[in-house]
Amino acid sequence: MPANPILRLKSVQKVFGRFTALHDIDLDIEEGEFFTIVGPSGSGKSTIIRLLVGMDELTSGEIWLRDKRIDQIPANLRPTCMVFQSLALFPHMSVGQNIEFPLKLRKIDPAKRKARAIELLELLHLPESYYDKRVTECSGGERQRIALARALAFDPEILFFDEPLSALDYRLRKSLEKELKDLHARTGKTFVYITHSLEEAMVMSDRIAIMKSGRFEQISDADEIYSRPVSRFVAEFMGEVNLFDVTAVDGQIKGTGLIALPSNATRTIADQITAARGATLMIRPEYVQFLDEGQAADFEISGRLNGIYALGSRIHYEIKTEGGQILTVEKLREDRHDGSEGDTVRLGWNADCAHVIEEAPFEGRIA
Amino acid sequence: METSRTTRIALTIYGILIIAFLYLPLVSVAFASVSKARYLTFPIRRYSTGWFRDALASTEVHMLALTSLKIAVIVTMLSMIIGFFGALAFARYQWRYRSLFQKLVLLPIFFPQTVLGLALLMWFNSLGIIPSWKTAIVAHLVWIAPIATLIVAIRAYSFDPALEEAARDMGASTPVILREITLPLLMPGIVSAGLFAFLLSWGNFPLSLFTTGADSTLPEWLYAKMVSGYSPLVPTLGILSVIGSFLLVLAALAGLAIYRALRPSQ
Repeated sequence: MPANPILRLKSVQKVFGRFTALHDIDLDIEEGEFFTIVGPSGSGKSTIIRLLVGMDELTSGEIWLRDKRIDQIPANLRPTCMVFQSLALFPHMSVGQNIEFPLKLRKIDPAKRKARAIELLELLHLPESYYDKRVTECSGGERQRIALARALAFDPEILFFDEPLSALDYRLRKSLEKELKDLHARTGKTFVYITHSLEEAMVMSDRIAIMKSGRFEQISDADEIYSRPVSRFVAEFMGEVNLFDVTAVDGQIKGTGLIALPSNATRTIADQITAARGATLMIRPEYVQFLDEGQAADFEISGRLNGIYALGSRIHYEIKTEGGQILTVEKLREDRHDGSEGDTVRLGWNADCAHVIEEAPFEGRIA
Repeated sequence: METSRTTRIALTIYGILIIAFLYLPLVSVAFASVSKARYLTFPIRRYSTGWFRDALASTEVHMLALTSLKIAVIVTMLSMIIGFFGALAFARYQWRYRSLFQKLVLLPIFFPQTVLGLALLMWFNSLGIIPSWKTAIVAHLVWIAPIATLIVAIRAYSFDPALEEAARDMGASTPVILREITLPLLMPGIVSAGLFAFLLSWGNFPLSLFTTGADSTLPEWLYAKMVSGYSPLVPTLGILSVIGSFLLVLAALAGLAIYRALRPSQ
């Protein structure tokens, strides 16, 4: 937890009629951080951002911007700004007029306004000639940049983003993600970003908060969330994952079809499982190996090769275990497995690649 | 899909017939206005433009046109204002009685105009107001303002609410949002509403008949003349009125085009 956060939420709650969208949210965001809130639709992430910019009122709790409480201040008097999902560019104005809009509201003189707009066009790699162009004549990626330029012209303390890339095609989105990260580094501003794509969050963010049903499930950096999720929900949110229901008795790990070779490493895992009341063993697809005759690993399981899917640089293998569970194995093209569908295969992985998710019996296991 | 030759010919004939059906009466009125004969007969034997000269010179016609114009201009301006705010209440803002409002707004349009005119006359009488061209403005508004509201509302429905939110987020107060965002975006709708308001008021007969009192508008006078004392002045004024309306529509369209062309460089 940062010592002097730029933004602090204290037990923020939002209730719509009989539906509680946010339950007692606490959150600190650090100065200059790229913070992303990720969650499926209906998780409450849009509600949070609307509260933060002042478009909705919170039911209870407090929002602090540095040492100023802002939750009672109307949106137009808050020193924050948001890039909308629809971008909300004004269709009756030129590109230049759009960018200058926040400056015009502050009664800055036209020459200075224009100079700043041109500066921002350059910062966002748009040609100066766009100043007089109609917004409606610009492409999706260009409009994205114009919306960003307008938000930067406002010069906010914190810049909020409400899924601004969701409407773009895959390639453009990927390149804009990197550009946004680069822009964050160059401006040094605090960015708070909302998305439903954890992949997008991982590319850009310093820290990620995973939301589920109006609560934060985990707040951490990308690496931690990927390799050490706190719940099955988080583990499954980021792409393919293999999960095993496991128990441990006297240092022996038990799971359907799963064989754990006795070693110090598996012993440590067994102890973790014993300590938890219910546990799941997680292994990401890229850490699973196809074992040759005589080869051994800390964990082993056998099954039938069900399907092979080429994904370009990587290949996915789908294996059905004897217990009926479907597992995924991912290999880079250059170390692909020479086998065909229907083969019986032996899979294995080392204990240091496995992660134990400790989950209380009644939480997160409904799905 | 490729249309066959016979289909195309059939469609062309059908189109011509529709246009003829719609415009032939107007054309015959135009012919009647240039007839030298005192009565409406067909075919016209001798032509004259004398009635146009008479119409343009007559002080009575000037008075009538002025009354109609006064009413129409004021109704147009008020309709644009009421239509703008009415449309915001109709289409943009969530408020408690919105769906009731949406239904009530439509009610005067469903009312037969003669009944509405009579009802309003009785209402003015009971309030002790002497009917004149001023009361006709109120009567026209009762019928035209809802239509203007609906026209602006169509525009307001296609409006991304995030635009106003974005403006507010960037520091704009409610009056500034209205002036900088809402009004310019609804402007095409407001202009069309104004056009409709003018034309509906200019040509209105049933409401004017009951509510103008001692004053008289062009349509009222035309009707009176047709009932008793017909002269080719009637079709002449009819045609002049059509030409005037047509020019007004052209002017409004040109104005809108100029507004659009000038906007980005303002």
